[in-house]
Amino acid sequence: MIEIIIKALAYSSCIALGASSITIIYMATRTFNFTHASLIAWGFYIVFALSSIFGGSPYLYLVFAALFSGMLGILVYLTVNRRLLKARSSEVVLMMSTLGLDLIFFAFINIFADFLTTNYRIHARYFALELKDLIIDFGIFSIRAIGVIAPIAMILIVLALNLFLMKTKFGIAMRASIENPGLAGMIGINPELIYMSSWFIGGVLAGLSGGLLSMVITGYPAVGMTTIVTFFAGSIVGGLYSIFGSLLGGLLIGLSEFLGIYFLSMVLGGEITAYRPIIPLLIMAVTLLIYPRGLAGISLGRLKTIIWRGGSK
Amino acid sequence: MIEVPPIILNILINFAIGLIITISLNLEVGYAGIPQFGRVLAVLTGAIVAGAIPGRILALMMNQPSGADYAYHLINYRLVEDINRVLALNPILSAGIFIVTLVFAACLGGIIGYITAYPAIRLKEAYLGITLLAFGDALQIIAWNYQPIVGATQGVLVPDPFRFIGVGELRFLFATIVMLGIAVLIFLYAERISRSPFGRVLKAMRDSEVAAKVYGKDIPKVRAQALIIGSSLAAIGGALWAFYSGSMKAVAYSRLVWTFWPWAYMMLGGTGNNLGVLIGVLIFSIVRTLIYSYKGVLTSIIPIDPNWLEYILVGLTIVVIVMFRPQGIIPEKPALTLSIEKIEKIRKLKTNIKK
Repeated sequence: MIEIIIKALAYSSCIALGASSITIIYMATRTFNFTHASLIAWGFYIVFALSSIFGGSPYLYLVFAALFSGMLGILVYLTVNRRLLKARSSEVVLMMSTLGLDLIFFAFINIFADFLTTNYRIHARYFALELKDLIIDFGIFSIRAIGVIAPIAMILIVLALNLFLMKTKFGIAMRASIENPGLAGMIGINPELIYMSSWFIGGVLAGLSGGLLSMVITGYPAVGMTTIVTFFAGSIVGGLYSIFGSLLGGLLIGLSEFLGIYFLSMVLGGEITAYRPIIPLLIMAVTLLIYPRGLAGISLGRLKTIIWRGGSK
Repeated sequence: MIEVPPIILNILINFAIGLIITISLNLEVGYAGIPQFGRVLAVLTGAIVAGAIPGRILALMMNQPSGADYAYHLINYRLVEDINRVLALNPILSAGIFIVTLVFAACLGGIIGYITAYPAIRLKEAYLGITLLAFGDALQIIAWNYQPIVGATQGVLVPDPFRFIGVGELRFLFATIVMLGIAVLIFLYAERISRSPFGRVLKAMRDSEVAAKVYGKDIPKVRAQALIIGSSLAAIGGALWAFYSGSMKAVAYSRLVWTFWPWAYMMLGGTGNNLGVLIGVLIFSIVRTLIYSYKGVLTSIIPIDPNWLEYILVGLTIVVIVMFRPQGIIPEKPALTLSIEKIEKIRKLKTNIKK
């Protein structure tokens, strides 16, 4: 039981990190980022390739995964996103452009996997890094290190992001630019720098999320494409306009997916596990239909009065 | 008999199916302005109908298992062979079952469209797109895992309504011609819609919802109608593809192939313009089929697997189009209405009848 909970915690922390990446990019540039799938998958592959070639614990290579995906984020901004933002394209056009880039990146992941297979004789089309994970022994029971590292990484990221956005000058400029781009531009904040750094931060978060996730689920080239809907669900349930909302949304989605299917399979039998990917989709659809702007759209004050008055007007 | 090289046949069938799906997508995206990222939902519905309904009807007529057993692959593979033998002797029955299935697919597609109208009326842009995408994924997961309808991972065989022609090349030629004919009909239908008052309302809604409301147009109703028509057309496309390929496996109906690629076709040709869509689909079907057919040759020239070349090409097309020519190859033009002389003539005719 404790193993399941630990694993669920690790999984949902990864989802939360990835969801916050989508939200940051969306908040700053109005771009709903489909390249997220490839950024995640590149996180998987960088950690996998480096740890198989050079040996050692996969955790050593998380930094490279994060930086590589961050660079990809900057690449997306410089090549396509900047021009479209200047042209004031609609949200759907921005979304489509990242989708096109995602297909290209996806092809390169496959080419990279082929390259690993032919040159290093590694099984790069299907791999489980879980086996290379450290095991922490507590005497009575032992757990995989990812169960501790992923939640800690998420909490650290939350604190770091909070400090960055609230205390540093650049972070404050970033928030100002997100809230009111015109006014921020007037007092001399360079919006392009803000956009680029949000793409970089988003990429780093996605790469980190992918690198950590590689120790929870099996990796294959299309791993980003299949899990991306879960990340979207986390981000959308969180409301798309709040980083902390997205972290909460990601946690909620991840936990309910992992634990929900565990309890359902106990009640309904093991066959139900095949339907696991439907859970985040259902939660997202239901949340959106009740609160069309996600959980962040709920006004806390109003909620309080409703509870206070016992639901009556 | 004329010999048609298989590569031409492949281009034509890809063109016909692609045209149907993309036209239906264009109706919702190009005309109504709904970010339809879940096209695969309706397409898969059509394919499920083709996999589940005609075989069961015929099995029932032949006193064979037609319930959940029908989808069990060991029974299904043998049973559909029997059914095909019956169909081969009976052209009228074949045509009948073909048409009944298409009608059924269109109806069920329409229902799916009506259901998706529920979020489509309430949500905006990115939220709506991702919700529709989620619906499509959810149906694919169910079809891939729930055995009694279309056999889950094993899939089912689809009865072949073209069997009376034969089994070889001739059958594929005939099937391709039939499907091209249906695609052309659907294209003409979409053209007619775009020139009708309904088409103009759709465009008005897309360009300015408030203005359309001011003129007394019922926006939720129009949106739902666009979704219903689009989804039923897409379902017909899905059913046709299942009939052509002779089998139905949920894994073949991924969002990549049946949602994102039609988007690329549409954007290349020109969003909101049926003729542009036709040209976009034609270009893509030629290029994709060529890559697919000359894989062996390509592998010896370039160092990468040609599969990935296809992805790069589609992705690059989307990016280049979005950046440098957002209106597509043929930009949208105001739809032509009847000339003033013709309208006068009709008016005179009407007054004459009244007298």
